Amino acid sequence: MDFDLQSWITIAAFAGGGLCMGLGAIGAAIGEGFTASQASTAISRNPSLSGDILKSMLMGQAIAESASIFALVVAMLLLFSNFSADTWLMVYVLISSGLCMGFGAIGAGVGAGFPAGAACKGLAHQPAAGSRLTTNMLIGSAVCQTPAIFALVTAFILLFTDFTGRPVSPTWAAIIGAGLASGLGAIGAGIGSGLAAESGCEGIARQPEAVSPVTNVMLLGQAVTQTTAIYGLLVSFILIFKIVPATEALAPAMALLGAGICMGLGAIGPGIGEGLTARDAVRWIARKEKAIADITRVMLVGQAVSESTGIYALVVALVLIFVV
Amino acid sequence: MKTIRETQKKYCSRALIFSIIVGFICYLAGLTPICKGLILGTLFSILNFIIMGETLPIRMNRSKGKTFFAALGSIFFRYLLLAVPIVVAIKFEQYNFFAAIAGIFSVQMIILFDHLFSLIFSRFQKQV
Repeated sequence: MDFDLQSWITIAAFAGGGLCMGLGAIGAAIGEGFTASQASTAISRNPSLSGDILKSMLMGQAIAESASIFALVVAMLLLFSNFSADTWLMVYVLISSGLCMGFGAIGAGVGAGFPAGAACKGLAHQPAAGSRLTTNMLIGSAVCQTPAIFALVTAFILLFTDFTGRPVSPTWAAIIGAGLASGLGAIGAGIGSGLAAESGCEGIARQPEAVSPVTNVMLLGQAVTQTTAIYGLLVSFILIFKIVPATEALAPAMALLGAGICMGLGAIGPGIGEGLTARDAVRWIARKEKAIADITRVMLVGQAVSESTGIYALVVALVLIFVV
Repeated sequence: MKTIRETQKKYCSRALIFSIIVGFICYLAGLTPICKGLILGTLFSILNFIIMGETLPIRMNRSKGKTFFAALGSIFFRYLLLAVPIVVAIKFEQYNFFAAIAGIFSVQMIILFDHLFSLIFSRFQKQV
């Protein structure tokens, strides 16, 4: 059975769309489920507040769902658009953009569920701080979506960049690598940001007067957590826009693909690790506000050390792109 | 349910007013596809948020098995619903694709802006 280029492009679009929505649904479903489980705990603790807790749960779930809606947008674009059959590279572009957005939505979906769940539980403990809790939850959840937005941007750049005239080999590997670097790289940062935001909500419920330092350190912790996702985005951009000379050898293609995989996988651990550091720092700042300077310093040092493995991945990825 | 209905009413009406104002400005500027895309996306975003809230009691007041299928059905239905404006925007040039995407997130954006605005306003009032 012989397939022409147009048939392969259709096949790749369908496969990419399926992968995108299938992977993209994982995170949001876990996040929303976690929120609902925490809301159930909160209602059992304080049934008189069930209306407010349900309202908080609804808003948290609406934000947690955003990442999977990004995946839905890219999946629909892949399934219903007519893509030009000018180059074989389009086949790789379609699969890579689907993988990128699918993986990229996992972390943000899971992460956004943590603050929403903590806000529901916090509301049952401290009903008077409801407004502050909801605001903190929404800010924390929104920041969790940033890595998914990076993946969305990469998927759109892949879909709308004109690859005509580029050599098929080794550009195909750079395209797949770009999608994996940005998509996989967003997982850890999304989950880590969620962990920091979760303890922000817990802290406000415990100590409503400490809302300013808790929110500030939470945002600082989330910002540092997301640096590895930025490395993933950077490597993706280099892989997409670097013009590589044509070659039939497999080694240069594997170097480019390896760079994307290295950065994508290498960003998962530091993202979660930095999130764990930020989570406990924010939690203890709410309990011991006077120790804010020391705790923040320890948090930043701990995050920097955890980040070092992400930097190793970035260095190896850059070596694979520019040296090998 | 009353609290949820009030929340839905508040954010859905604000999202609709916001998109109508922005859409009208775009229409006056001659950007009709953006106006149409934004309003189309917003309408489906509102529908999604309403169904999300209205199906909460269906999901909660039933047995475990029925709750699972009700929740799954709600998610499938809402995602199918959200796919409609995206497919329409892809297929018809009268609707701008990116404006339709922005419209799909209008309720979420309004929830965020509302709380951020309240936070900034309360801090400003404390300083005064």
